[in-house]
Amino acid sequence: MQLLIQILMNGLMMGLVYIMMALGFTLIFGIMRIVNFAHGEFYMLGAMAVMILFSTLGINYFVAVLLAALLVAVIGMVIERLLLRQFVGRELNGMIMTLAIAITLKAGATIIFGPQEMSIPRPVSGVTEIAGILIPNDRMLVGAIAIAILVLFYFFLRYARAGLAMRAVAQDWEAAALQGIRPQRIYLLSFGIGCALAGLAGALMAPIYTVSPFIGDVPMLKAFIVVILGGLGSLPGAVVGGLLLGVVEAGVATFINTTVATMISFALVVVILLFRPAGLMGQSR
Amino acid sequence: MNTWKILAGLVLAVALIVWPFVIENRFLIHIATMVCMYALLALSMNLMLRIGQLSLAHGALMGIGAYTSALVMMSLGFPFVVGFLLSGVVGGLVSLIIGPILLRIRGVYFVLLTFAFGEIVILTFIEWVDVFGGVNGIFGVPRAQIFGYVIKDRSLSYLMALAMAAGGFFLLRALYRSEFGAIMETLEDDEELARSLGVNAMAYRLAVFVLSGAMAGFAGGFYASYFTFVSPGAFNFWTAVNLIVINVLGGIASPVGVILGALILVPLPELFRDAVQYQVLFYGLALIVFLKFMPDGLYGLIGKMRGKRDDR
Repeated sequence: MQLLIQILMNGLMMGLVYIMMALGFTLIFGIMRIVNFAHGEFYMLGAMAVMILFSTLGINYFVAVLLAALLVAVIGMVIERLLLRQFVGRELNGMIMTLAIAITLKAGATIIFGPQEMSIPRPVSGVTEIAGILIPNDRMLVGAIAIAILVLFYFFLRYARAGLAMRAVAQDWEAAALQGIRPQRIYLLSFGIGCALAGLAGALMAPIYTVSPFIGDVPMLKAFIVVILGGLGSLPGAVVGGLLLGVVEAGVATFINTTVATMISFALVVVILLFRPAGLMGQSR
Repeated sequence: MNTWKILAGLVLAVALIVWPFVIENRFLIHIATMVCMYALLALSMNLMLRIGQLSLAHGALMGIGAYTSALVMMSLGFPFVVGFLLSGVVGGLVSLIIGPILLRIRGVYFVLLTFAFGEIVILTFIEWVDVFGGVNGIFGVPRAQIFGYVIKDRSLSYLMALAMAAGGFFLLRALYRSEFGAIMETLEDDEELARSLGVNAMAYRLAVFVLSGAMAGFAGGFYASYFTFVSPGAFNFWTAVNLIVINVLGGIASPVGVILGALILVPLPELFRDAVQYQVLFYGLALIVFLKFMPDGLYGLIGKMRGKRDDR
């Protein structure tokens, strides 16, 4: 029982990070119809930014995380404006373009920072024990911030004008445009938000793992799996899928091994794409 | 005019075959061999791009060919010819089996599906250590051997690769000019139209996928015996991405463009040997520039320049 709750807890902590990655990925697809293969690179940029701001320049960790997310959002918006806009709705070429962006960002980061793994100091340390379950404090911090961000994001989509506009464009951009919403602005905004979420995930996880130009690959794969599980373009799907993947992975990794866990998740992806392309949640938008 | 063209073709063919025996530069011959192998792979990707179904599984299909050939020779003890033939046959066979399932799906979902399939294949190579040797792969794959003669000489390996690339090139050119090619084009532009004319769209797509998988498998079989080892890392999804880069840069509209792309892009890693990352950066930037400004690739660019000249 103890072990089960511990696994559940570990899964939840990872799941929250997956959700942050997956939400941005699915948001960008839902609105722009672009599969963002560069999503992991924005995670990497967030981690790199927090490394410079926090560990090199000595800025307060929380300020550094915030600045990192903002910086990644700006980079994302510049990329959207310059490179991606013309590919909105042209799925195949858009996908090749995001691949090109991913290659370029990764190679650029390797040239600037070198290929080695770097570690940055942990802002908090120690372990908290709640009813016999051990939770590392740094993980708890990540979890708490992730939950706060997700709640904020929910209220933004639900009540803010811009959030409503985004959902409207995702549903039917022509009808949205007739209502006076400018799709171009929404593309920019949603790509920026999606990148900010990825950057935030990277910035939060940087002190827990090491930082290198290649750290974006795994979170990108996870986001990809989560998004297919939940349905490409579905926001609630990303939340459910993220939690599901986090918990299942924690379980399989504890009892079998991680390669098998990854294989199982990809097999699941194939099955879902074939039989329920709209995802477990059942709606595609 | 036409005789000149034939003459030029003959001269080119002779030059391509004879040069490694005149310029005995191992390094140059190695690069030329890689150009030919990637040209064959890029041509197999071109088939898929022509029907508008971008496949990220081609690295894995090549890997299946490579492992097939290696295992048939090493575990089952068959000669190279059998291993090599089977590499293509199994590549095509796997495509034939997964094709009817995967090809039902179009667009983005097909890409994601092939991506997931590729990952599963690679993870199988890694996880099933007894058979596939895990992350380290399989060492000591026998070299190519024809009629008992071992091809150790690099220039002979090059000739074999050249024959494969040329075979792929002429096959595709003939295919695209035939009725089959015309139907392929409709499959991409307007499948409804093709179907309303009584074309069994699925059968055509499957045929294209099987041919493409077999070509990737043959390239894998060649790879295994040329490098004498296979490992999962060589067949991941970045291999498929490289093939896409070659296609986009060269131009997907013609097999000539694909060859052009391979000719320009494949030697690059050797030029940037000390700084692999600069090469990758160059790949990325080149791809961005071409997608944004020259979506028809180099071949399209040449065509445009020619067109302008003719207008005058």
